[in-house]
This record gives sequence, structure tokens and C-alpha cells, in this order.
Amino acid sequence: MVKFERFQLSNGLKVIFHKDTSTPMAVVNVLYDIGARDESEEKTGFAHLFEHLMFGGSVNIPDFDTELQKAGGENNAFTSNDITNYYDVLPANNLNTALWLESDRMLSLAFTEKSLEVQRSVVIEEFKQRYLNQPYGDVWLELRPLAYKKHPYKWATIGKEISHIENATMEDVRAFFKKYYCPSNAILCIAGNFELDFIKERMNYWFSDIDSGKKPARIIASEPKQIEFRELELERNVPASAFYYAFKMAERKHPDYYIADILSDSLSREKSSLLYLKLKKEKPFVSEIVAYITGSIDEGLFIISGKLNDGISFEDFDNALWEVLNEVCLNPIEEKELNSLKIKMQTARAFQEQGILNRSMNLCYFELLGDANGINEEHLIYEQITCDHIQSYANELFQKTNCSLLKIKAQQA
Amino acid sequence: MIKRKNAPSLQAIEKINFISPVKIQLGEHTPFFWMKEVPNETARLDFIFHAGTTRGSNLISSLVAGLLFSGTNKKTATDIHNELDDLGAFFDVGLGHESVLVSFYALKKNILAVFKIFEDALEHVNFPQNEIDELITDRKQKLKINCEKVGFLAQREFQKNLFHGTNYARQTELEDYDTVRREEIIEYFSKNYKNGLRKVVLVGALDEVQVTEIAEKSKKWCLHEEPLFENNFKNNKGVFQLKKKDAVQSAVRIGKTLFNKNNSDFLGFSILNTILGDYFGSRLMKNIREDKGYTYGISSTEAELAKSGYFMIGTEVGSAQKDLAIQEIKNEIERLQKDLVPDEELELVRNYLLGQLLKSADGPYAMTDLFLSVDAYDLDFSFYENYIQKVKNIDAEELRALAVKYLAWDSMTIVIAG
Repeated sequence: MVKFERFQLSNGLKVIFHKDTSTPMAVVNVLYDIGARDESEEKTGFAHLFEHLMFGGSVNIPDFDTELQKAGGENNAFTSNDITNYYDVLPANNLNTALWLESDRMLSLAFTEKSLEVQRSVVIEEFKQRYLNQPYGDVWLELRPLAYKKHPYKWATIGKEISHIENATMEDVRAFFKKYYCPSNAILCIAGNFELDFIKERMNYWFSDIDSGKKPARIIASEPKQIEFRELELERNVPASAFYYAFKMAERKHPDYYIADILSDSLSREKSSLLYLKLKKEKPFVSEIVAYITGSIDEGLFIISGKLNDGISFEDFDNALWEVLNEVCLNPIEEKELNSLKIKMQTARAFQEQGILNRSMNLCYFELLGDANGINEEHLIYEQITCDHIQSYANELFQKTNCSLLKIKAQQA
Repeated sequence: MIKRKNAPSLQAIEKINFISPVKIQLGEHTPFFWMKEVPNETARLDFIFHAGTTRGSNLISSLVAGLLFSGTNKKTATDIHNELDDLGAFFDVGLGHESVLVSFYALKKNILAVFKIFEDALEHVNFPQNEIDELITDRKQKLKINCEKVGFLAQREFQKNLFHGTNYARQTELEDYDTVRREEIIEYFSKNYKNGLRKVVLVGALDEVQVTEIAEKSKKWCLHEEPLFENNFKNNKGVFQLKKKDAVQSAVRIGKTLFNKNNSDFLGFSILNTILGDYFGSRLMKNIREDKGYTYGISSTEAELAKSGYFMIGTEVGSAQKDLAIQEIKNEIERLQKDLVPDEELELVRNYLLGQLLKSADGPYAMTDLFLSVDAYDLDFSFYENYIQKVKNIDAEELRALAVKYLAWDSMTIVIAG
């Protein structure tokens, strides 16, 4: 059970306080309700580029990192298709420093040309390092537009193409900040050994004079229901052919989301999933095969991906895979396996809940989904899932017309 | 009106409370450490075997580490994995030059049962040929894929030159896989695991009775003799280039053999290393990423071996900028050798390092790992008391002298792949 208190400042900033008396550290986590899905198609990669600029100095403080490091702390951030999340971890007795820094960059950035110029280059190098200079690195740049035709999930957080990052202007940056980086679009969590009154007083002190801004309306093109099987084959200079089957699945708040999550765990069990037993053990079609979900807030993807063994054709594998998926649809998993999956989830949760950083991030994320207390309730949803639920959802999911298939054909094989 | 221009006053870290795990001696060379102060239901159980890559062939050691749960006469690999799944357990096998670490994560109520599955799997492992073949197929494919990554190529070449002439320098090549025999695997296992247990670590609020049972039953694997390790490394100096067609970035590794916590310069050097490249505000990051934008990241590390250690700078930079980036790395090192680190920067690093130490000691798992990282060199928590004093008292002259003594550019191995 993760206990927390919740309050809101007069400018709309939502604050969560999680008391933990066992740690000498404190966490300040700030979630901004802005992700790559909020970008326009002509300026993709902007939410992520902006995350970099948030470290390039704020209106009163030239260097964010330096000040936090002086206080013995460290920080980082990440951008997803849905959110941008910043966190600071520092000795609890220096909490004020983190609040000073976070409030100043919520107030306004310094907007220096130098910072924009350098971070554009850094992000371009990140693009190269992660997406261009790795075998299979561009898979998500190709798979997203295959699976999504209208919804902005069709581009990756790094952006559709490098030119969008190269062309970002200071004007874009200012407008983006004004629209999305305001108290009414943020959720902040403080965790550590403090008293609630102290936290309220400190939050008011540092944040209450920031203009509330207006929570931007989210108008996102909804994805039409997929009614046809989609397929794309690309040749790449890689040693092994790879496959990515992407099935459209329920959005984050739908009950089916949780069923899909357990189903993906079932199909990913090391050395014992049906995929492993049939496609690797019985007949060695693949060297590796896994199933996972993207976990996005809007309609997400259920992915089955892996690599073919030498000499195996996509066609042979494809037939075999659909046979296995049909089996999953026909036969419910055993009660024993479901229990085992649930125990594994409980164990994973017990480990994840140990650190105040994880707890802080999750509290903010659940609050964004509607209620921070979701952190304590989610396991109840998982516990109620039955073998029938899973079978029934598998039948909905594993339809050919619900599938987009990306094949990476190895030139070297 | 809030004074936003001025930083809030800072509080110094006065004291860190270190908590040592309980030590139970399993054999002459094998301790069992138990951290019992865990305020939740989780537990971790680690087994460290004297079975790292330098104990024989690189390839065989890595295959054995991958086959520890491959099956017995009575159970298949799938059976064993299912049993662990039913207990909600996760496990992880890590292979290093000098040891193999097998870690289990589970709720504390299940740890004893997890141990019994491991005990049976390890005692009776029979390395079925089909499991060996499957692993070899997988590993060959992984190696081929890794060889497409400039970072992997650079790292391999760096290790070859860093440790040349010793077992530590050996790398697995694709063709090595074709000559693997099951007998070699069985022999390696018998030699290095059956009596190869160097350490057991348990973190978790278990009952004493259960802990005693795990300890007693682990005794049969204890090492019979004190493990010996290489300590005489001399890195090949100079520049080594690997070409990779079509690479848009080059991976760079720069470093040399050095020392571990047992050397009296270790503490001072670790502070110097932080300033150079071991935190986000380091000189390398500030210059090469935050000023020039040549890279997404650059860092330097001080890595340790049982009787030695090494220093390494690593980055991946746009191929067109690699020469400029290397020149800037050289400039930053020379700056540390010529100029004194300014007071303000040194003060920042002092605060940063103490804050990070506090974080490294936060919670029973972190505390245990902190303990293990000194115990590995026959040291205890007094090491960190000395560290705190060193961080507080080191001066700019000493740092400059260390940079001159250990960071001479012509003593470095420089590898560029791309």
C-alpha cells in the first residue's frame, strides 16, 4: 500500500505528497501532460527536443544541473508518446533546491540560441545512435506508420525525420513552452521524510505565483478501426531476418488492457510459453520470440517479435505462428499458469515499489490517468482476470485484419 | 517576493549510517552474508562462483553460465523454469572475467523453495545436447548482430589491447562455436562450479532457520583453495582503428590499466575521474555534448578487477566529428594536468559525491551492494569513512598531481570503430 496525500495549488498545480520515513533522500517528480502524440505532423520530435531544452537554463537560473549537483542531487527526464516526465533525487535536507529549480523552469525558460543550437545537435546524435547506427534500430520508425494511419502514434518520440529537429526555431520553442509547460498541465509529486504542512507551505512558497496557464484541449485524430491486414517488407544489412507482428489493443484505461498485459506475459514465459515450445523447441523456426505491449494511453499495440533462424522463410514461420495463435484462441490457458503469472506480477510489483523514485513516478502517472490511488488498486483488476477473459480477448486480438506485420529481411543471411 | 536569483542555502551531509550484513563462514574461502533488516516482503539471493571467463575458454565459460538451468535427468529446462515461475521468482546470471553471479529475486516466503529448485538444478544438471545446440544457435546470431554495433566492436578491441597477453584479452569468434564439445562443458562445470562457490549473499527478513538451511546446503559447493587472479596488466599504447562500412557514428574508447580500491591513490583518482567524466556535469559532458553537441553522451569510468583495475573513456560521436572529439578529450585531460580545478567546481563535486554516497546507502539492497563493493577487496565500511574525509579534504594540487601521474595521453590505448 502506497500512502499519499493530494492537494492543489490555487493556480491548478496538482501536488501529491508521499511520506517515507525510512529514507534520507527525497524525490521531486514533475509530469507534464505533453507527449509526442500532441505534436503536429509537420513538427515531430518536438516534445522530446523540448525535454532537452528544459536543462538549458531557466529565467533566473543559468544552469539547472549545476545547482542540483551542488545540492548532492541528480536528475533526468524522459519523453514518451504520451507524457514528459522530469525527476530530481537529492538528500532530503536540500529539498528546497529541487523546488527552487523546478518552479523556476515552470515559470519560464531562458530561451538562449546557444542552448537550442547545441541540443538540436545532441538530439540528432541521439537519433543516429539509437535509430540509425544500430541493427534493427529503425524498426519503430517503420512500424508505427504501418500500424497507425491517423493517430499521432504513427511517429516515434524522436521524430519522423531528422529535418524536423533541424528546422526547429526559437519561435516554436517559445510557443510550445507557453502552451504546455504551465501549472494547470502538470502533476508534481514529492516523496521523502517530511510533514504534510511543511510540504504545503513550501509548495505554496515556490509555485503559487506561477501563472496557471490554460490546460490545452487535446484534439487528436482518432485511429479508424483497422479492417485489413497490413504488411511491409524491408531489406536491411543485418545478420538475421526479424519479424514484428503488431496487433491493435485496448487503450490504457480499458479493462481489456489488463487482460492483454497478462496475455503478453503468458506468451513471453522463458522456456515455457506456447510460442517458445512450438516455434523454437518443437521446430526451430526462431532464435528468439517475445510478446509485449506498448502500454500507451490511447489504443496501443500488442507486439510479437523475434528473429528467424538461418534458412527459415517468413512464409513458413508465418503459417506456424498463426497456427499457434489459433491454438491460443481455441484453448484457454490453465488455471495453474494464470496463478503463476499473477504471483510473478505481485513479486515484480513488490520489488518496483521499493524505491521512492518509482513510487513518485507511478503516483503522478496514475493521477494523470484519473486517480493516483490507481497505484493501490491496479492489482485488484489483475486478480479478477480469469482464463476465460484471456481466451475471449485473444480471439478479439489475434485477427489477421487487426494485424500489421513488419518484416526485416536480412541481406547477409 | 521570492528571491529566485539566489539559491536556497544548502545543508551538508554530516553522517551516513552504514549497516553491515551478518557474516556466516561456510568454508575457509566462502563467506555467506545476510542482510536481514529489510522492511518489506522482498528478498534477493546471490551465488558467486569462481567460474568467470578467465578460468578457461571464454566460449565454454559463457555457455556453461547459460546452461545452469538446462535440465537434469528428471527435469527439463522447461520444468525448472515453470517451477521458478510458480514461485513468482526472477533470476539472472551474470558472467564476468573473474566470476559468475547467479541472482534470484522473490518474495521472502518463497526464497527457500527457490533455493531448493536451484540446488537440485545445479547438483544434477546434465547439459542436454539439444539445449547446448539451441544456445549455440542463439549465441551465434547474437554475436553476428553485436558485430554490427560500433560500440561492441570498439569495446572488444579495447579489451584486447588493455589486457593483451593475458586470459582477460580473449574474445569469442564466430568459428569457435563450431568446435564446442559437450564434454568440455561438463568438465568446465565440474571444475569451476562444483567446488567453486566464493560467496553467498542474502537480502531479506527471513527466519533464521531458513537461512541456516540455505547456508548448510550451500556448503557442498565451497571453494577448496584461495582463488588467484592476474595482476600484471600492461595495455598496448597507441591508436587502433576498426573500419565499419556505412557507420554514421564512430565508437571511441580511450583508457589504460590502473588499480582497485586497495591502491592508496584510488580515492583521489575516483574524485578526479568524476570531475573529468563521471557525472552529468563533468568536463567531458560539458565540453563535448553541452558545448559542441558532438555526441549524445560521453563518460569516463574507473573499473575494478580482483587485483587490478582500469580507466576508460567511452563515447559514440558523429563520424565527421570523431577527430575533433578526440582532440577535445585530449584537451580536457591536459587542462586537468596543467590547471588547478577551480574552488567552485571542486565544491560542487564534493557535494555531489557525498549526496550520491548517501543515495548509494539508501535501503537494504543498496547498502548490501555498497558493502559487497568493499568486501570484494578485503575492505570494510571504514573505506567509506575514509572516502568521506577524502572528498571533504582533497585539494586542487593533489588532483592535478594525480592527473599528471595517471592520465598521460601517451600511456593510453585509443580505439576508434566506425
